[in-house]
Amino acid sequence: MEMVSLAVGIMLGLCGVGAGLALIAGIGPGIGEGQAVAAACEAIGRQPEAKSDVTSTMIMGCAIAETTGLYGLIIGILLIFVAPGIFSGVLKDTVLALK
Amino acid sequence: MKLDETVRKETAYAAVWVAALSLVMEAVFLLLRKWEMPVLWGNLIGAAAAVGNYLLLAVTVTRAAGGPKEKIALKVRSSMTARLLGQAGICAAAIGLLHTNVYATVIPLLFPRIGIAFRPWVDRKRGKTAADSEGSEMLD
Repeated sequence: MEMVSLAVGIMLGLCGVGAGLALIAGIGPGIGEGQAVAAACEAIGRQPEAKSDVTSTMIMGCAIAETTGLYGLIIGILLIFVAPGIFSGVLKDTVLALK
Repeated sequence: MKLDETVRKETAYAAVWVAALSLVMEAVFLLLRKWEMPVLWGNLIGAAAAVGNYLLLAVTVTRAAGGPKEKIALKVRSSMTARLLGQAGICAAAIGLLHTNVYATVIPLLFPRIGIAFRPWVDRKRGKTAADSEGSEMLD
């Protein structure tokens, strides 16, 4: 039983590490978004009459870029709230089957 | 706080898609016989977080103009980090404290992206010209 508790503890820790690693995906979109918006602001400065079109496209582009970060966030949340329950169930069943 | 016309239009578009897809998701839960109140609460909180994030994104990018390029990039980057952490906090609080359904809480976060994917089709239906929808087609 102690071995099972140890295994569950290790598994929970690894789920936490995995969730943290998944959130690294949030770094890239931030950098890309920043560059895109800065370039779009320059474009608006050159052609103020196209402000509405550029802004609309810019918002959609940023939302699309941000989706990558959201995937990471969702994986992180699932690893924290869903995976431990599933994995510990599988682990306990496996240990019981081996006995 | 007065919102830009484009911000209002884009947020309304995202909100309509989030509402429509939320109804579809609720119907799927009903069909699978997994519908409970936590599903509805999770859906409402997730949808509110998704629309709120979209609104803040639109406000940030429209107000970022002015100043050097590096400053704009930094402003948008920090806004994105704050919004991502805010969404993570809202979802974690909803799931951990209010015990909402995990899937019903996190899935609506992706609904605005699905709405954007359908944007060229919606523009064509509205009878916009090719030049008008060119930007959104390029994004997909």
